[in-house]
Amino acid sequence: MYPGPIERLISELARLPGIGQRTAQRLAFHILRADDAEALGLADAIQEVKEKVGLCEVCFNLADEPRCRICQDERRDRSLICVVEEPSDVIPIERTGEYRGLYHVLGGALSPIDGIDPDDLKIAELVRRVSDGTVNEVVLATNPTTTGEATALHIAELLRDRVTITRLASGLPVGADLEHADEVTLGRALSGRQSVPGPH
Amino acid sequence: MSGSDAGGGAPTSTVDMCIARVRVLGFRNLVAQELELRDGLTLLWGPNGAGKTNVLEAVCLALSGHSCRTRNERETIAFDQTMARVEVEVRRGAEPHQLLWSLNRAGERRHLVDGKDAGTEQLGLRPALAIFLPDRLALVKGPPAGRRAHLDRFVAALWPGRAEARRRYGRALAQRNALLGRVRAGAASGDSLDAWEEELASAGVELALCRREAVAALAPEFGSAAAELGVAEDAELRHEPRSDASRPEQLAAELRACRERDLARGHTTHGPHLDELAISLGGRSVRRFGSQGEQRTALLALLFAERRALLEARQTPPLLLLDDVMSELDPDRRALLAGRLAEGGGQALLTATEPEQLDCPSAAIAVRRGSVCWSPPAALPSPGGPARASVAA
Ligand SMILES: Nc1ncnc2c1ncn2[C@@H]1O[C@H](COP(=O)(O)OP(=O)(O)O)[C@@H](O)[C@H]1O
Ligand SMILES: [Mg+2]
Ligand SMILES: [Zn+2]
Repeated sequence: MYPGPIERLISELARLPGIGQRTAQRLAFHILRADDAEALGLADAIQEVKEKVGLCEVCFNLADEPRCRICQDERRDRSLICVVEEPSDVIPIERTGEYRGLYHVLGGALSPIDGIDPDDLKIAELVRRVSDGTVNEVVLATNPTTTGEATALHIAELLRDRVTITRLASGLPVGADLEHADEVTLGRALSGRQSVPGPH
Repeated sequence: MSGSDAGGGAPTSTVDMCIARVRVLGFRNLVAQELELRDGLTLLWGPNGAGKTNVLEAVCLALSGHSCRTRNERETIAFDQTMARVEVEVRRGAEPHQLLWSLNRAGERRHLVDGKDAGTEQLGLRPALAIFLPDRLALVKGPPAGRRAHLDRFVAALWPGRAEARRRYGRALAQRNALLGRVRAGAASGDSLDAWEEELASAGVELALCRREAVAALAPEFGSAAAELGVAEDAELRHEPRSDASRPEQLAAELRACRERDLARGHTTHGPHLDELAISLGGRSVRRFGSQGEQRTALLALLFAERRALLEARQTPPLLLLDDVMSELDPDRRALLAGRLAEGGGQALLTATEPEQLDCPSAAIAVRRGSVCWSPPAALPSPGGPARASVAA
């Protein structure tokens, strides 16, 4: 219907989450009308993010250097690791201002239905990090969903006897994502975290 | 997340809820029309095939999102239409809420409460439902799965805070089954089975507790309702759990003990997904040995027990949809039924082929070839004005 390059832009935009065909068309025409600097700025930003941003070699959070800013920060408490599913889960916890430790980003949660087993997550890497002796406590902050709970239980079993393991206190809505929890609730959940009971 | 969150048992709503209006479009044989309803008992009467049950089904869809008649909801789209749509206006105290359900031939489905996707959050805005349909006898005489699902829906109606228990268990069960399959196929190691069993056990113990408490609330009422409906022998409702575990660690240990067998079969062979809700008369299973009449009575007694329990716990009786219950009851039992229904207020929609089958409804609506119209026989007392129905142009 439109010249080839425009069709291509529309179909690329429509692949983004939450963007339907109509919105994609609107965005495409906006980009077409925008001045060169603005439009190419967007293209450049996309290129840069793909070239420069990778995963932190320590915690697997997003990083534009080998190590992320949090891992580089000397003031962080290195005896404390907070385990989350996705990089996007780090941000709400940082926003609470209540957490001064490091993170470990698993890259998802166990879900046999989707073929996601422990090997598909950064679990072995976590066990390795914990075994160097500097870590005292691991806070399990996976989502309070079925998959998040099972992931927390699995990790708790692997790390039991090595460190103190705590789980974010409830108060988070069951089934909700960390990403969408508000700061106050999350702050409360952090300060009220509970020790995971020992073996059955 | 153990049974300690039984706080869901606190009354969440003491506000009267009723259905004020039903609007249908393209729904089975019903003509496009709007039906006004009021509190109390409304009788829908008319010949077979008129569309009475279709009205109940439409209400059920708008309230629950599911048909009480069919799994294939596309059947409800009128033969000559491309979309079926039902709107129900619910009054919660004085505030009106709009429920909408629609489905088109492409399978696009909407179920909205006040314009937003219906979810468990707004369960409080939808009246609980208790439904009797002759096809629903399967509930009594069919396999246990139907009774489990029914009991779990009752749990959700009684304690909205515990509505997630069944789904949570179902999700964990599906994951463990998937993992068993993957391990069996050599596609995954069994390393995370422990974790999944703990999660499944925690959800399972919670679900079993919900069921136990729900049946404890129902059983005495079930016995007395059955007696009133003319059952001579003791009528009993019992939760028969597959596992007696009351703590997650116990159930997890039981699951671990079944692991070998489960791996061989590729699915989970132990746990609350195998519970039974046993219904018996004089110690005999109604499912296996009950006559058609006994099965009907048992189902009716179950509905009355649920209504009583809901009345007690939430002060809001469920909306009762009773299809064709009169035909097999003698006049005494019919009077008794009407009395029971009037108890505690609330709304009920009943269908019958003749208007005389119910003595004192608050309103009677005649149904003829897909149209409903308020019928004004002088015999009907109508305090507070009649229920009205209007046929859209
Ligand atoms: N999708 C549909 N479109 C049009 N008519 C339908 C559809 N599904 C069922 N019907 C008709 O609805 C009528 C049955 O209505 P029903 O409510 O069961 O009657 P009753 O008054 O006996 O309860 C039948 O005549 C049937 O043909
Ligand atoms: Mg019928
Ligand atoms: Zn890092």
